[in-house]
Amino acid sequence: MNENSITPPAHSGGNQAFGAGSEKKRRNDLILIGILLAVLVLAGLAFFLLREEGDRVKVTVDGEEYGTYPLSEDTVVEIRTGKDGEELNRLIIRDGKAFVERATCPDGICSNHRPISRDGESIVCLPHKVVITVEQQ
Amino acid sequence: MRSKLISLLTAICLFLPCLSLAACKKEPPLEKFSAYSFDYFDTVTTVTGYAEDKEAFDEVANGILAELKEYHRLFTIYHRFEGLENLCTVNELVDGAHRTVKVDERIIDLLLYAKEMYDLTGGHLNIAMGSVLSIWHDYRTEGMNDPISAKLPPMEALRAAAEHTDIEKLVIDEENGTVTITDPKMKLDVGAIAKGYAVERVAQSLEQKDITGYVINVGGNVRTVGAKPDGAGWTVGIENPLDNGEDYLGYLTLSGESLVTSGSYQRYYLVNGERYHHIIHPDTLMPAEGFVSVSILTKHSGKGDALSTALFCMSLEEGQALIESLPDTEAQWVLPDGTIYNSSGWNTYTTEP
Repeated sequence: MNENSITPPAHSGGNQAFGAGSEKKRRNDLILIGILLAVLVLAGLAFFLLREEGDRVKVTVDGEEYGTYPLSEDTVVEIRTGKDGEELNRLIIRDGKAFVERATCPDGICSNHRPISRDGESIVCLPHKVVITVEQQ
Repeated sequence: MRSKLISLLTAICLFLPCLSLAACKKEPPLEKFSAYSFDYFDTVTTVTGYAEDKEAFDEVANGILAELKEYHRLFTIYHRFEGLENLCTVNELVDGAHRTVKVDERIIDLLLYAKEMYDLTGGHLNIAMGSVLSIWHDYRTEGMNDPISAKLPPMEALRAAAEHTDIEKLVIDEENGTVTITDPKMKLDVGAIAKGYAVERVAQSLEQKDITGYVINVGGNVRTVGAKPDGAGWTVGIENPLDNGEDYLGYLTLSGESLVTSGSYQRYYLVNGERYHHIIHPDTLMPAEGFVSVSILTKHSGKGDALSTALFCMSLEEGQALIESLPDTEAQWVLPDGTIYNSSGWNTYTTEP
């Protein structure tokens, strides 16, 4: 039930493409479609990559910034607190997620916390006054 | 057909630069910042907001933290401060009796609000339970410091303390700005309401200054101040208290409302391997057992705080009846077996991350 079958198309495309010389036109069309699709895919990819790059983890101790680490790089951060740095929260960044593997705090709430990766998610260690937050640029 | 496809693709490609330009343009004017403090209400405070630069954000955030500090000093029952009458000194006995204490009007306002919440919740939120709660507090603190010898408080002691929880014995003289506890064995504990109430007052003072695009989170007591600068709401995830692999129970969009969750998983201690959490039922005098978490979504964060504790100590049916009778107030109950109940309007706030 194509409307073209009832009224002639207003524009010059459509059925005329199947007239004389349509072979070459079709090839050009296919090339054009190919190029356009490639542009779209590349643009999409660039967008995606740019978004990824913004993901990072910010660590603060008693409100003061301790360090910022990209989620895209696997790493281990030993967050040292207390008078002589005797307290520890061992932060692991692996496969784009951050978690506390081990801590010397009494409650262990931070090391029991699930890995975080979404913008705004955080792990808090109350005894050591540590906040680990995912941020996005 | 094919030419239509080509025009469409061309159109999209032509639009791409505009799209990416728009995306870049959208970012700058306001940037997102956060500030943290561990100094108030024995928990972590997070202030998140959008501002032109760090300096502008710090000015607002420091103002918020300074105001929270004042509320903390007035409302704490655990510390006294030189030259300040606060709830700690109101609880104090001098020669075997409570004094009549002239207090800051912010204390009067909190206590009046707490009485209002007592009536609203049929006594399930009772700030006069201090004597019972202080016994639990001492045993819990001791049990956490020395887990091997952790003990439960003796029931006789709890019952004896429960004889002195009559909120009518808290006499508030608005005209003279004084407070008196007329039962020497009664104490106040505002732990179930003070935090939320303070957050609400601070949020309201931002609103009065036409400051918007901020979130104040004091230990899970979340209050949004307006929407984000682009007009979108804030997405807030509700932590899943169950151990079933799901990270969050769901997400809500908030634009000026508050979300408060009371959970049995937040503050507890172990006695012989059993968990005993901090929300004490006014009748059994033991940790309330009906739910693992109760969340309240409403405008007033003090009300949300009070209701989340009160509903934790009510049956599901009682709680449902109360919530459905209140305008613009929603709730979510999570039972120990993982069953989740939502109030009738809860889903109008839910969203995808």
